Amino acid sequence: VRREPPDLRDLVGDDVPAAELERLGRVHELLVRAGPPPELSTELVEPPADPGREVAVLPRRRWRTLAALAAALALAAFGAGWLAASAGDSGGNAFAIDFHVPMHGTEAAPNAVASIAVGERDESDNWPMAMTIRGLPQLPEGQHYELWLTKDGKLIESCGLFRTRGDSVVYLNAPFRLRGKGWAVTRAGGRRLLLRTVEI
Amino acid sequence: MPRVSERVSDGDLIQLVGTGDRNAFELLYRRFSRPVLGLALRRLGDRGRAEDALQETFTSVWRSASTYRPERGPGAPWLYAVARNAIVDRGRGRAETPTEPPDDEAVEPGPPEQAEASWLAWRVHRALEELPERERTVLELAYWSGLSQSEVATFLNIPLGTVKTRTRSALARLADLLEEELQ
Repeated sequence: VRREPPDLRDLVGDDVPAAELERLGRVHELLVRAGPPPELSTELVEPPADPGREVAVLPRRRWRTLAALAAALALAAFGAGWLAASAGDSGGNAFAIDFHVPMHGTEAAPNAVASIAVGERDESDNWPMAMTIRGLPQLPEGQHYELWLTKDGKLIESCGLFRTRGDSVVYLNAPFRLRGKGWAVTRAGGRRLLLRTVEI
Repeated sequence: MPRVSERVSDGDLIQLVGTGDRNAFELLYRRFSRPVLGLALRRLGDRGRAEDALQETFTSVWRSASTYRPERGPGAPWLYAVARNAIVDRGRGRAETPTEPPDDEAVEPGPPEQAEASWLAWRVHRALEELPERERTVLELAYWSGLSQSEVATFLNIPLGTVKTRTRSALARLADLLEEELQ
């Protein structure tokens, strides 16, 4: 990174009229004072996918069971999860998508990125979710990741455990009244956030 | 759906976003995402929190764009205020007061100076987004990559004279865009 600002004459050459050079010099000073604009990380190059969706509307929904904690791992290629979730698949995981929630990796997992497709309440009164994940490392046998609902930065309800290998789609059921404001992923048994959404 | 013109003003763009125009939202994001992230990084000093603030800013913009009133002022200051609120919210979770990154000067600037510096950087970064890609590239390489002009020419595989021409053109265009700041 350059520590000294570049020389204006070196930048524009010697054949610039004095008045114009003076004007460019003031812009030059502004650039030096402002400093460089930051680069956007890959997951921020595009705007939020569904900025208008209100996760807060979820609490009004009714849930009857706390049972469905199991997570199913689908080893589909990244992106295929949307097709499976929206158009149906052979594994019984098909559901109609209500909305998508993007997730981004924290400093603990900067290369991780995910998106949750949240479905309409199903016949069993569950709230199905398909989480498409990229960049989370495969855990040793017997260890899992955990998807949480969050509120005010705190983990409040578990949505289930899952494992991932490379680019994966995992299917989960939200087992509680969805009274969170966002989602986060930790290693099961840990509290450090690896992926999270923006709380609404 | 027809694409929103790249020439539409920030204020008009915000009004279109207020009608639920996704294309306008994407264009607004392209114009302001780096200035917002830059502002958040200056205030929060933490990349993760700054990125959260960026997303919160645009979530808020999507929700509240219909409240923007052009007769009260241009779009950029309105969006700056939305961003500042999101950044302040994100900073509240920290024990310490959000601060600017350390300054090399012996005397730390006070809040008014910090605010002025933030606003200046916001305007400059916003103006940079208006430049044609090839001009913005030579400018960013010239000022912040550490490369000499000759090295920029080699890097971009263009003649040195073209680098200087583009740099001069970019600075002139910025001068037009930042006329208010230059007075």
